[in-house]
Amino acid sequence: MSRPPLWRLAPWTRAPLLGLRQPAAVLAVLVTSAILACAAASAPLFLSSARSAALQQQLAQGCAEVGWGQIGVDSGPPVSQAADADLAAAWAAEGRVSVPALAFARIGTSDVAPGALPVVDARGEPLSLPAGLLYRPGAAENIEVVDSVDGAGVWVPQTYAEASGLAPGDEVEVAGVPVRVVGVYTDLFRVPESTYWCDYRQLYANDASGNTAPPALLLATDEATFYAVTAGTGAARLAQVPVAADELSVTDARELLAAQARAQGRVPTPPPATGAFVPNERLPGVVARAELIEAGLRGPVVPVAVAGGLLALVLVAAAGSFWADRRATEVRLLAARGVGPLPLAGKAALELALPALAGAALGWTVARGLIAVLGPADDLDPAATTAALWAGAAAFVVGLGCAAGVAGLRARGTAERPLGAAARWPSRVPWELALLVAAGWCWVLLRGQDAVRQDAGVAQVNGLLVAFPLLAIAGSAVLLARLLSALLPRLRRWAGRRSPAVFLAVNRLAAARLATATLLVAVTLPVAVLGYTATLTESSQTTLDAKVGVQIGTTGRAVTSVSRFDPTPAIDAVGTYVVRYGDGSVPAPAGQDGDSAGRVDVQVLAVDPDTFARTAFWDDSFADAPLPELLEALRGPDVDGRPPVVAAGLAPGPADLELGSLAVPVQVVAEARVLPGRRTADPVLLVDASRLPDVDRSARADRTAEIWTEGPTAPAVEALTAAGGVPLRVVDQALVLNTANFLGITWTFGYLSALAVFVGVIAAGGLLLYLEARSRSRVSGYVMARRLGLTRAAHLRSLLLELGGVAVAGLVLGTLLAAGAVAVVYRRLDVDLIRPPTPLLDVPWTAGLVTAVLALVLAGLAALYAQHAADRADPASVLREDA
Amino acid sequence: MTGPDDGPAVEVRGAVKRFTRGAETVTALDGVDLRVRAGEFVALVGPSGSGKSTLLALLCGWETADAGSVTYGGALAGRRADTFGWPELALVPQALGLLADLDLADNVLLPARLTGALAASRPRAGELMEAFGIDHLAARAPHQASLGEQQRVAVARALLLGPAVLLADEPTAHQDRGHADLLLDEVVGQARAGSAVLVATHDEVAWGRADRVLSMRDGRLTEGAPR
Repeated sequence: MSRPPLWRLAPWTRAPLLGLRQPAAVLAVLVTSAILACAAASAPLFLSSARSAALQQQLAQGCAEVGWGQIGVDSGPPVSQAADADLAAAWAAEGRVSVPALAFARIGTSDVAPGALPVVDARGEPLSLPAGLLYRPGAAENIEVVDSVDGAGVWVPQTYAEASGLAPGDEVEVAGVPVRVVGVYTDLFRVPESTYWCDYRQLYANDASGNTAPPALLLATDEATFYAVTAGTGAARLAQVPVAADELSVTDARELLAAQARAQGRVPTPPPATGAFVPNERLPGVVARAELIEAGLRGPVVPVAVAGGLLALVLVAAAGSFWADRRATEVRLLAARGVGPLPLAGKAALELALPALAGAALGWTVARGLIAVLGPADDLDPAATTAALWAGAAAFVVGLGCAAGVAGLRARGTAERPLGAAARWPSRVPWELALLVAAGWCWVLLRGQDAVRQDAGVAQVNGLLVAFPLLAIAGSAVLLARLLSALLPRLRRWAGRRSPAVFLAVNRLAAARLATATLLVAVTLPVAVLGYTATLTESSQTTLDAKVGVQIGTTGRAVTSVSRFDPTPAIDAVGTYVVRYGDGSVPAPAGQDGDSAGRVDVQVLAVDPDTFARTAFWDDSFADAPLPELLEALRGPDVDGRPPVVAAGLAPGPADLELGSLAVPVQVVAEARVLPGRRTADPVLLVDASRLPDVDRSARADRTAEIWTEGPTAPAVEALTAAGGVPLRVVDQALVLNTANFLGITWTFGYLSALAVFVGVIAAGGLLLYLEARSRSRVSGYVMARRLGLTRAAHLRSLLLELGGVAVAGLVLGTLLAAGAVAVVYRRLDVDLIRPPTPLLDVPWTAGLVTAVLALVLAGLAALYAQHAADRADPASVLREDA
Repeated sequence: MTGPDDGPAVEVRGAVKRFTRGAETVTALDGVDLRVRAGEFVALVGPSGSGKSTLLALLCGWETADAGSVTYGGALAGRRADTFGWPELALVPQALGLLADLDLADNVLLPARLTGALAASRPRAGELMEAFGIDHLAARAPHQASLGEQQRVAVARALLLGPAVLLADEPTAHQDRGHADLLLDEVVGQARAGSAVLVATHDEVAWGRADRVLSMRDGRLTEGAPR
């Protein structure tokens, strides 16, 4: 009778069920496959999440309408209400419900609307002020009413009414059409901005100049009034499709824009002379920037994900080896009967396929869940989900192949490996040197490039800045672990003179040098990567905050005014009063080119030394002396008749300062590297406001009064107004910084931190495998040692020393490697080269402490677990099985 | 240490031990009575699976009897076997029980280290290792030695502290005749020094050197060698 083929024999046909009889091996493969699939699937999910978040955060910074679909026409006469129906129908054809958002016409006699018809009052006198007429549903419910009467007509803003002598009930004639004034409302620029008016700011506020009043905004009470007035003029009409910007993905936005383009194409062409389509043209820019941020992330994230995947693959391979160990009896028998590594790998694959598949599915789910909970946004593109599924499937195939291959080789090796054989050559080759060489190569390349690149205003981390330290950390960790493990025999001799707990712990570590070194690397790597990434993330954020703080002058906001007013107790209560002279100059220092008069520009801040330090932004790295000490210097006596000043960018000594045309000689008595309120690259001088002579308008010193406050805007504006000033603008973080510009950097290091946590999970898995793989010898050793006189407490101490020792060594090594990498890199990580200060170092001590405690707790728990397993062992059975 | 005529150092009366394997109940010990005096070398013989190892596990406190009793005499009287230290009861298990993480010398010396007698025991350990021909393997790990060499290490470890009771499960199973005789010499010497020695063995030479031979079959113990 001929022998059936190998794959039809029982060990193979029954393999899927046989595998389930080894719960520990099943669990190991399931968990490690899940880790691998999680690593593989996380990259596309994270990138998509980041892209959505970049889109959403940009939209959140602006008005809601920026993210809405919008079509419209801006046309000359004849204007008819029928156009609104055309717009609504065009959206409806796309299956979307639109709202009539705006109908606006420019009227009046100003340059704003050349050729427009005048507004004529009841006496037949034309009103000289320009105006615009707006109809928007709900407008009357979103204004602050000064006075009103019932009926249809127009609302006029208070300043316009006062200047024109209009009151509710008056009749005006607009474009030849009689209209009734039904109400007066507070000018929109005088009330806090609301969501309703946010996107209409250009109609009532002139942010570009504080001097030119915006055209008055007349509000039509109803469409009939609007179209009656504008029939002979021209008007812009919009129909918008509101969407929830905080749930928008880039795919959603792209689909919306495509629908918008098609809808706009359905709208009849407006009159050719002045007509134009007015789709939402802001959203494409926002989408493009979100994609740019994602593109910037892809460089660092994909290689990092691949590296994480490779690490996870090592763990999967270890699980395969673990399977071979658990199935040692059967595979030894099969190997002894001539079954080669390939059929054994096939058997392993069949036994491990189910847990590997379950693990891959679990890993994908975990990745999806982690991105949902911890990722930048939960709104993912369908394509990313599909890509993540493929990545998970690939992780399953590669992981299973790797586990099975290693299992096959290990199973064969177990049977054939002679006693006392020397370590195989691959384990003796210092492969880690290749990592260090690659790190060096990245560093050399990086020296000729910017560490942080600006692409269309979006800061992106150079991939080399990510690759260099990771390669260096990985290579150094392995090399150090190899060197330390080489010292274990010496440590063993030392331990021979120590207590039984120390003796046993050190001997266990020394007896399994490769496992010890691997475990040490597994602890060192996450500690080092987490330390490095957390420090850079913290430092980047601190630096960015500092740049904003320096630019504004405070961590809060600066309310500026061109009016002249004196500080009051109310101003001192909300912050500090600062006068900025933008047009100051001093003679150019030696070796520096000046203007034609040999002078260089400076900014002068006249401050109140009593209140300045309380509100001004300060970091101790800005100067060698603390801020109060510098301010104290401002109170010192005149030097040769020159009041003392503190300078950033100017050396100590006399300075012939000119504020506009007024000469104000000063003496620089103290120097700082950075001073709060520095908004240009020019030097900044701080001077006690009370020591400055009066600088009147004729000096043309570009004087601006500011209130710096750490609190909300309203009290500062109130205090400024009460002091007789007129607020011009509010300088705050949103104005200074387009946060979206730096999302790429934040998320890059956020992803790296996640990777470090992920590697930590791998390390924990490795620790469990380490324990499981050695549990047989540990338990039998424990059973025998107990009979020999070892106490349970001593054994537990030995376990704590063994695992805790590796944890402590890993923490120390990881911290040193992280510190080295940070020291080399952080100065180059300037997120905004234009604004001071240069990068600040901020060490996340809390995160470091938590990591250390977690590592030690994990080691302690692992020791307790191992002790528990040993306690449960039945001595007679253990020693019988071991035979 | 008690002398050969001071009464039983170990006494088992009516010991019964059953194991359940699936639906089947296996009676490993079926009313076993045993006495071993201090200074006496008793050989326990019988086919594999007859209950020898179970009896040894019972004597060293790793198993408990379902019925019957195990008592110790002399200085060990009134104590449970699982509380005995190595100087009181030493064991050579069939699986040897060497600690894989320690080299062979450290394995031999481990009981001395754990009882605080390391320095004093080094000369004796050296003698035993030399006598057993394993002194040149002192720095090797167990897996780097042959099974026979490992077995000699286990016997040396058992003899190191001159135990009051010595239990050995097939201590010569992996030895050639010469090394088996060396081991037996030391085991007999230990008995002559006052230890109660019970050795489970298939080695007929060992039977000949024992003071008594007990046969075990199907969990029952009878006096004399099997026929």
